[in-house]
Amino acid sequence: MGVYLFKRLMLAVPTLLGASVIIFLLIHIAPGDPVRVMLGPMDDPALRAKLVRQLGLDLPLHEQYLRWLGKALQGDLGISVTIQRGSPVLELLTQRYAITLELAFLSIIVALLIAVPAGITSALRQNRLSDHVSRIVAMVGVSVPNFFLGIMLILIIGVFLHQAWATGGFVPLKTSVRENLIRMLLPAVALGTAYSALLMRMLRSSMLDVMSQDYVRTARAMGIGWPSIIRQDVVKNALIPVTTVFGNSIGYLLGGSIVTETIFRLPGVGRLIIIGVDRRDYPVIQGIVLTIVLIRIVVNLSVDILYSVIDPRIRYGAEGE
Amino acid sequence: MSTPDVAVHPSDVITPTVKKHRGLLEEVWHNFRKNRLSLTGGVIVVMAIIIAVFAPLLAPYNPVEQFSAPLGQHHPLPPLSRSEEGTLFLLGSDKFGRDILSRAFYGCRTLLQLATGSITIAFALGVLMGGVAGYRKGSWVDELIMRIVDIMLSFPSLVLAIALVGAFGIGRTQIGPFSLSNMFKIAIVIAITYSPAFARVMRGVVLQETAEDYVDAAKMSGGSGWQILAGEIFVNTIPPLIVQASLNMATTVLTSASLSFLGLGLQPPRPSLGIMLNEARDYLFGGAWWYALVPGTFILLIILGFNLLGDGLRDSLDPRQARRTRL
Amino acid sequence: MSPGSSATLTKDAAAFRWEDMVGNSRLLDIRDLVTRFYTEDGVVRAVDGNSLHLDAGETLGIVGESGSGKTVTALSIMGLIENPGRIDSGSILFRGEELLDKTPQEMQEVRGRDIAMVFQDPMNSLNPTLTVGEQVDRVLRFHTSLAREKRKRRIVELLQQVEIPEPAKRVGNYPHQLSGGMRQRVLIAMAMSCNPTVLILDEPTTALDVTIEAQIFELVDKLKTHFGMGIILITHDLAVVANSADRVVVMYAGRIVEEAPVIDLYEDPLHPYTRGLLNSIPQLDQERQERLPSIPGEVPELITLPEGCNFSPRCKYAVEKCMHDDPPLVSVAPGRKVACWKVGELIE
Repeated sequence: MGVYLFKRLMLAVPTLLGASVIIFLLIHIAPGDPVRVMLGPMDDPALRAKLVRQLGLDLPLHEQYLRWLGKALQGDLGISVTIQRGSPVLELLTQRYAITLELAFLSIIVALLIAVPAGITSALRQNRLSDHVSRIVAMVGVSVPNFFLGIMLILIIGVFLHQAWATGGFVPLKTSVRENLIRMLLPAVALGTAYSALLMRMLRSSMLDVMSQDYVRTARAMGIGWPSIIRQDVVKNALIPVTTVFGNSIGYLLGGSIVTETIFRLPGVGRLIIIGVDRRDYPVIQGIVLTIVLIRIVVNLSVDILYSVIDPRIRYGAEGE
Repeated sequence: MSTPDVAVHPSDVITPTVKKHRGLLEEVWHNFRKNRLSLTGGVIVVMAIIIAVFAPLLAPYNPVEQFSAPLGQHHPLPPLSRSEEGTLFLLGSDKFGRDILSRAFYGCRTLLQLATGSITIAFALGVLMGGVAGYRKGSWVDELIMRIVDIMLSFPSLVLAIALVGAFGIGRTQIGPFSLSNMFKIAIVIAITYSPAFARVMRGVVLQETAEDYVDAAKMSGGSGWQILAGEIFVNTIPPLIVQASLNMATTVLTSASLSFLGLGLQPPRPSLGIMLNEARDYLFGGAWWYALVPGTFILLIILGFNLLGDGLRDSLDPRQARRTRL
Repeated sequence: MSPGSSATLTKDAAAFRWEDMVGNSRLLDIRDLVTRFYTEDGVVRAVDGNSLHLDAGETLGIVGESGSGKTVTALSIMGLIENPGRIDSGSILFRGEELLDKTPQEMQEVRGRDIAMVFQDPMNSLNPTLTVGEQVDRVLRFHTSLAREKRKRRIVELLQQVEIPEPAKRVGNYPHQLSGGMRQRVLIAMAMSCNPTVLILDEPTTALDVTIEAQIFELVDKLKTHFGMGIILITHDLAVVANSADRVVVMYAGRIVEEAPVIDLYEDPLHPYTRGLLNSIPQLDQERQERLPSIPGEVPELITLPEGCNFSPRCKYAVEKCMHDDPPLVSVAPGRKVACWKVGELIE
């Protein structure tokens, strides 16, 4: 298992570096002069020179990259140039990540609460009415754009049912746990629904796969009862491929939070990146994208570790006779 | 607990004697037709394409034309109301007095244009990358290409798209002698985002096929590398690529719509479903439910159609899957 | 025959076995079994009115090509036929009790405890996420009321019985850490764990190589004698049957075409199909120039069975009558049955 993980780690590092190169180059792909954009109406030679020196734009490209990378590794993601002039990007991000990660976490919970029972029962009642219904619902669930769902939720609960909290907004946990959670409810549902539909389909498919496996047949032939078979043979084995999908979810959640936070007025990282793009605050954009990729890679690695723990075939490797 | 129906499947004990013999294409078509869900998907997609192509003919009014509200009322007006000029807003009007139905039709058109364009570029890019990588498996070319694919896949798609839009800027731009329209730029952005998926599928399929005997046979009969790649292999790689394309259409549509919604896509006054949905946000509390419901439902149906279609195609091509998921 | 060291295991083990030896020794009595699968493409007549029996201490071989209905017969006995399959008629008596009258819950208890089955391909037949010990333990927990310590010892004992080296160590292994032969032995251990009366082996060694095959059969034979079981051996391999079976039943396209003690079958096959099968086995003393005779034609699909005798399209002795009327399985000598209109002529 150690070898397996080491190999995965070795693959992750160059990927991360490669991603960082692309992120770094974002500023330079931009048409026009980034400095002029950033300075806007306050463009004058002195300020310009200062900004150029500050951002190191006068250095050759590869040196700029190394300088930027070096600082990033130490936690210095630069200074915001337009959004909150002078504030370190990292500071801005940490505040907002707390919110986004809370949203992601709640969405996962919502998704699991729906997907696991639905997936399992759907597989067990294959081809009966409840299975067909839940599969159609799942199909629709996967196809609904999360911003549409969010708006509809606000419409129904906020407008037609007159619930003020439906429009979101953020209340820190410190202030009131209840207020915080209730405002996160609809965003979590909006973000988690498509995800839960995906999980449900995966789980169902995985379970059906497993149910037609030989070892289920063996258990049946030995007179083992269905409850035990479902628990120990089917679900246990079906969850294995699902964990990999689970790992990939963080990418979807972080991307989806961009839209969800916008609709529900949550001051998270997703909302910030939009503002960053709007105001051409490149350090912020770069900082966000870099951290997102980092999180994703770390989560994927953790999922791999989890996977190797769950699946004995990886944990012990094949010894043969 | 009632017993599930899948202890021993008859095909496990009766194999090969039971299956009737059919040609591959017939088999695929037969499976596809039997699956009601995928048929529905196909119908939806065809309808969407018809709307998109014939929007100028189907739309009752000009999508950018603003009509005045009757005295005492203001836009957005609910469905089935009329403007001062007598136009019937079948699905209501938007904040500027434009007919939502017409705008939705045109929005459908732009969305499909964008999505199709992106997918085509992504397909071409991905197939090229994957094909080369697969054919030269193990070489530095393969490694390099797959590394790049991995790197790009480490970005969540919407995030990458947004970052690229942020970098390229919104609106028409000049790059050297080329003047790129906004739509084209967005198409490229989305294409870059989704081409890695195609590259992976293509490479996988190429690896599978090059292990087949007929490739060795073709090689021995003297065909050059490129000829073999293009001729023999390509034909067999088409089915999984088509499935991938159809499934990716759904996500491409979603990404395009998301970008528009966020204001990073097509710009007004160009009719765009995503923008309409964004505009609707301000009018929710005014009770203008149609303003959000119409564009949202259009987007939903298009995505649903492609998802059903892609699923159905995948099931038809893999009979084992089909056995489990057939309706 | 001593019941073996595990007599104290199941509560009635000792009592029932003795009664078995003294009283009725017919373990399985199957009459006119009809099992069909109602699929979208048509009705598959997998078992078409077959009768057979199994006595204590004997090994019955069921021989036939794939698609002949042998596995479905076994599954019918085990009560593992499910949608779209159905046992339409017939009777399966196990020690005098009608299995087809039992509820699914009752059949569940019978399976593994009284009648056990080992399937064809051992590679995927064990749950990859449970250790060997855990999987055997499950069977014990379901059918016996043994305490944990006793179960642990029993598991090691079982693994020893099936001749797995270092059984105490293997208990904690996962299936992927075992070779195919070892996995097959584990499956046999699981099947034997509650001292079943009847053991059904479905192509137990097709996926294994020849030397392992020999060991497995030796092992099973030893167990049979030791415990007085009846064994049903399903295979398409005539050599296996020749070595291990006492009696043989030959199936073709869902029907039994011949039944005989093994030596008689090999020395004097009566049914044209059986003759064809035996003729197609290469002999060491055959002239090298002779082509191996094979039976012309193909096995019919079980959905579209020919009118009359199922084998008639391929039979070189077939006449008008064979094409229209289905020959019944009749006794032609003690212990010998054949289903063929021409059987009178063929007994030379």
